[in-house]
Amino acid sequence: MGNQLEAITVIFTEFYYWVTVVLMFLIHVGFCLYEVGVSRRKNMLHTLMKNAMIVPLVTVTFFFFGWWIYFAFQNGPGITGGLKEAPWSLPWNELMGPHMGGQPRDDGLTVADTATWARLNGVFWAAFLLFSWTAASVLSGAVIERIRSGAFWVIAVFVGSVTWVIAAAWGWSDAGWMVHTLGYHDAYAGGVVHGVAGASALAVLVHLGPRIGRFAPDGSARTFPLQNPWLVAIGLFLIFTGFWGFYAACNVPILDIDPEDGRLFFSATTIYLTPTTLSAVTVNLLMALASGMLMAFFLSKGDPFWTFSGGLGGIIGASAGNDLYHPMQVLLVAAVIVFCAFKLHYWVERRFKIDDAVGAIAVHGYCGTLGVVAAGFILWGYPSSPAADSVAITPWGQLIGAVIVFWILGFAPAYVVGGILKRVGILRIPVEVEIAGLDRHTRREERQQSQAIRTAEREHLIRIGWKDGGES
Amino acid sequence: MNLIGTVDSWAGNPLEVGPMYPWVGLEVGFFLVSLALWIGWMVWLLKTEGTAYLHEVQRLKQRDVSDVVGGEDDIY
Repeated sequence: MGNQLEAITVIFTEFYYWVTVVLMFLIHVGFCLYEVGVSRRKNMLHTLMKNAMIVPLVTVTFFFFGWWIYFAFQNGPGITGGLKEAPWSLPWNELMGPHMGGQPRDDGLTVADTATWARLNGVFWAAFLLFSWTAASVLSGAVIERIRSGAFWVIAVFVGSVTWVIAAAWGWSDAGWMVHTLGYHDAYAGGVVHGVAGASALAVLVHLGPRIGRFAPDGSARTFPLQNPWLVAIGLFLIFTGFWGFYAACNVPILDIDPEDGRLFFSATTIYLTPTTLSAVTVNLLMALASGMLMAFFLSKGDPFWTFSGGLGGIIGASAGNDLYHPMQVLLVAAVIVFCAFKLHYWVERRFKIDDAVGAIAVHGYCGTLGVVAAGFILWGYPSSPAADSVAITPWGQLIGAVIVFWILGFAPAYVVGGILKRVGILRIPVEVEIAGLDRHTRREERQQSQAIRTAEREHLIRIGWKDGGES
Repeated sequence: MNLIGTVDSWAGNPLEVGPMYPWVGLEVGFFLVSLALWIGWMVWLLKTEGTAYLHEVQRLKQRDVSDVVGGEDDIY
């Protein structure tokens, strides 16, 4: 940090991302409540632990290799270049720990690296990590009540610490090859987080199959009643709240947007370093939420589950272009995308017998990916990066990008991993246990413990003088 | 003198301070131990879970269908 202005900018940025992490934590709390609220009573503890353990497992693996993948894979590798050097992102690097930005000890680091990353590496890492939790959590809801925890955690680590990170390296970075070759634009990660996660959920569900009783012999779908609609509502509202952090974390809060010209002009930017304003993004987030809820209420005739999910779908559907859209455009885009996702959900459910317990593929996968495509038409011709030779955003660039995030990085890898887990027999819970309930073993132990405690209490009273069957 | 850390005094120019944590230079070793712990945890989990389900299935197979399906409370 060479001067006071630079120091204040860096420290403000550090604090800004710290706040986004705290807010984004609510997304995970919301996902846990939501899933437990949807689960039947006999499966609640299993559902809770399956999602909660995403936190430690994705955290350590994102530390081990996820953060490095984000920087190293920005050229593919093998598409526009090789693996990129990013020593600050390696788990053993000094810049992953407390550092004042002085002379580096690691030969691979420069003084410029330490000056840039000493105060920002950790908070950037944490913000990306919370996106990783979200990606894994999206999958978690879709597969409840029949997937084994171990298999799910393998998939969660794979999606949370590998595949979505590759999508981010390619299409959600100022140096990503999709940005510089296709003009890919996905400002608030509708495709790279939600598209990838939703498509991964679809792929796993193909192998996993529906819950027993979900489809009638004639092929029609049965609806599992919400176990606790209040938990579902609180969960989704916490996810909405966390999305303020998610959106904020997709921006750089303050940056001299053209340092080459010698003038200072500070603005918030997207992750591509293209200018936007927090003001506009705030309006657009709320308009997308409102539009999604209105459309979902209309489609579902006021069903609370779909109405709240539609709000989330609206936000995710408008995310690719929310840095540049006018609020009226957001209103229309979110409504159309939620409409399409709702219809697609039921068509896929009927046609392929896909049992997505929480509508995650629709809300995240379809809305996120369709939003990427929509941005290609609405933002056609805008520069995708601040570089002088920037490639323009186009419908075909966005369409190719959408195929890459949904099918190549979302569906295909998860399909392979899900297939391997199925083949070795550790994907699905045994049918007897699924029917009896996944918490049966825990509940039996609880009953035994409760009985033992009651017996001990009774014996204690007798020991201090009470007579068995009445007062002394 | 600090035998395991990199900082002897907070007085002076903080801009000259690099890594502040103890045992600088042993990071790769810490990483390898942590990696082994994570892999070990995953292997332990997968084995334990498989065994637990095996026992639960054996136990359930000795019961009546009505015992296994459970009551209405479990469904809703």
